[in-house]
Amino acid sequence: MKHIAHFRFTLLAIAVVLLLPLCVGSGTLATEVLIFALAALGCNLLLGYTGLMSFGQGIFFGIGSYATGLALLHLKAPLLISLAIAAVIGGLIALLVGWFSIRQRGTYFVMLTLAFAQMFYFLAYTMKDITGGDNGLLDIPRPNLSVLGHTLLPTTTSWQYYSFVAILFVVVFWLLQRVVDSVLGRTLLAVRDNEARASAVGYDVTLLKLAAFVISGAVTGLAGGLHAMMTGVAPLSNIEYHTSESILIMTVIGGTGNLFASVLGASFYVLVGNWLSTLWPRWLMLLGFLLIGVSLYMHKGLYGLAQSLLRRLRPGEKPTVDVVKEIH
Amino acid sequence: MNIYLLQIANGVGIGMLYFLLAVGLSIVFGLLRFVNFSHGAFFLLGAYFCFQLGEMGVNFWWSLLVAPIVVGLFAFLVERFVLRHIYALPHHFHILFTVGLALVLQEAVISYWGPLGNNISPPDILQGVVMAGGFVYPKYRLFVIAFTAVMALLLWWILEGTRLGSIVRAGSESTEMVSLLGLNIDRIFSLVFALGAFTAGLAGALAAPIRGVEPFMGVEALGIAFVVVVIGGLGSFSGALVGGILVGIVQSVMSTVWSEGAHLMIYVAMAAVMLLRPNGLLGRAS
Repeated sequence: MKHIAHFRFTLLAIAVVLLLPLCVGSGTLATEVLIFALAALGCNLLLGYTGLMSFGQGIFFGIGSYATGLALLHLKAPLLISLAIAAVIGGLIALLVGWFSIRQRGTYFVMLTLAFAQMFYFLAYTMKDITGGDNGLLDIPRPNLSVLGHTLLPTTTSWQYYSFVAILFVVVFWLLQRVVDSVLGRTLLAVRDNEARASAVGYDVTLLKLAAFVISGAVTGLAGGLHAMMTGVAPLSNIEYHTSESILIMTVIGGTGNLFASVLGASFYVLVGNWLSTLWPRWLMLLGFLLIGVSLYMHKGLYGLAQSLLRRLRPGEKPTVDVVKEIH
Repeated sequence: MNIYLLQIANGVGIGMLYFLLAVGLSIVFGLLRFVNFSHGAFFLLGAYFCFQLGEMGVNFWWSLLVAPIVVGLFAFLVERFVLRHIYALPHHFHILFTVGLALVLQEAVISYWGPLGNNISPPDILQGVVMAGGFVYPKYRLFVIAFTAVMALLLWWILEGTRLGSIVRAGSESTEMVSLLGLNIDRIFSLVFALGAFTAGLAGALAAPIRGVEPFMGVEALGIAFVVVVIGGLGSFSGALVGGILVGIVQSVMSTVWSEGAHLMIYVAMAAVMLLRPNGLLGRAS
């Protein structure tokens, strides 16, 4: 029983992966949910587990898109290699941005992440030869998953690609869950809850934050790479501030401090957005109101809401004290 | 060589606008201790209100006065009735609240005025250029420099010379101490938040005839305001002035050298300052 409890969140993530095809008619939409869930996981690792609010996640998402696109177009790299390139470059750029930003605390850090998001947007815009500027990188192919010429998993149709992304998603979720449950994850929580104390006990706070930032950048870069393959383009909009903002918003709406909450947040954002945007192009306004609502009344996001509803349904049970508290 | 001198002069003009944009952010941070992410949206509203009043036939000078006041009033009400209730929460929630507000305002602007940009012409008296000793300078930009310089003096006087200013400065040191002295710090919070929004709205209204109006100018302005306060030092009046002018000059000079990269270079300049002086040029060590 204890064994299952340990894996419950990974099991929940697998459940989402299996349920999505039943609830969503389009394979592309279902894939998009998982891709943004990955990006939100990266953001949650920063916000929920390290206390870093980053407005720059779009940098890694966009750069991941470009990296995968370039690897596929110019190097004719195989599927996994081109995604690995996206993750590695995402991590390296995160190292660079993090090295500049993390030395600054609190407010300065938040402002710097936004400023760097703008910087990389203008950089991508200026380097037209590499990124295609306004048009983006076009005609990115989507190779099958194959080893030594044998196709293990085709990715031609949208549902085939979904299965590939789903497997990758579950693996990354499990790995990240391992990270947050590890000593590193617990130490990050210590940094989040009281930086001065963590530092006084002897932890290198800057290094810990940087580690979280690099992991987050790699995961988000991977998500960007998957997105480029899904749509066949790496558009300039992937590196825009709007992408950073969306990733942060889905993380916050889902709830921070629990990885599965990000899956909820991303599903909500992508599915509700897809549904509402056909009805009313200005649906982002509702999202703004929702964000205001979350900051006023619903601090733990959708996950917290679901938790308290479940608790109310089972009145006999004592409320469990979660180790992971809300962000400070 | 002349072209560079001219671009530096241009840069001072843009830089004074950036100062006006950033100083409100800085003052609000000084007192309320969080970064207002709706500051760019207030800039956006100021510009669009100015545009709307112009469309309705109101003369530019009245628009320049009314648009920022409406923005300031709006911010006052938001602070008074909503924002106030979350001061006790961690700063992350303040930021999220203002991000949400900015999103709502930006989408409201798009639904009312449409997603495309518009142009505003400066008033007749400020159209055309001034010639002086081989220099050609647009009249409107000259006016912007003079006007923002007066505004800077006025703000400086408010902060340094009035009772309100000394309360704000004392509040920046310790809000608790100020309220222990029997002053109504809540009212000061509302006033300062409104003042910050007013200056952002004023910067927006002033910028509208130069750059036109479009719904995404708010995000761009927010990014620039952040760069200015990071370069100058957060919470510092003179820092905003120095940072603003520096950013304006970098942007202006770079637009002759490498026009596509002019915006990029602003952020590169920021990164350079970060390396040399992490607390900004005029910032105090935190």
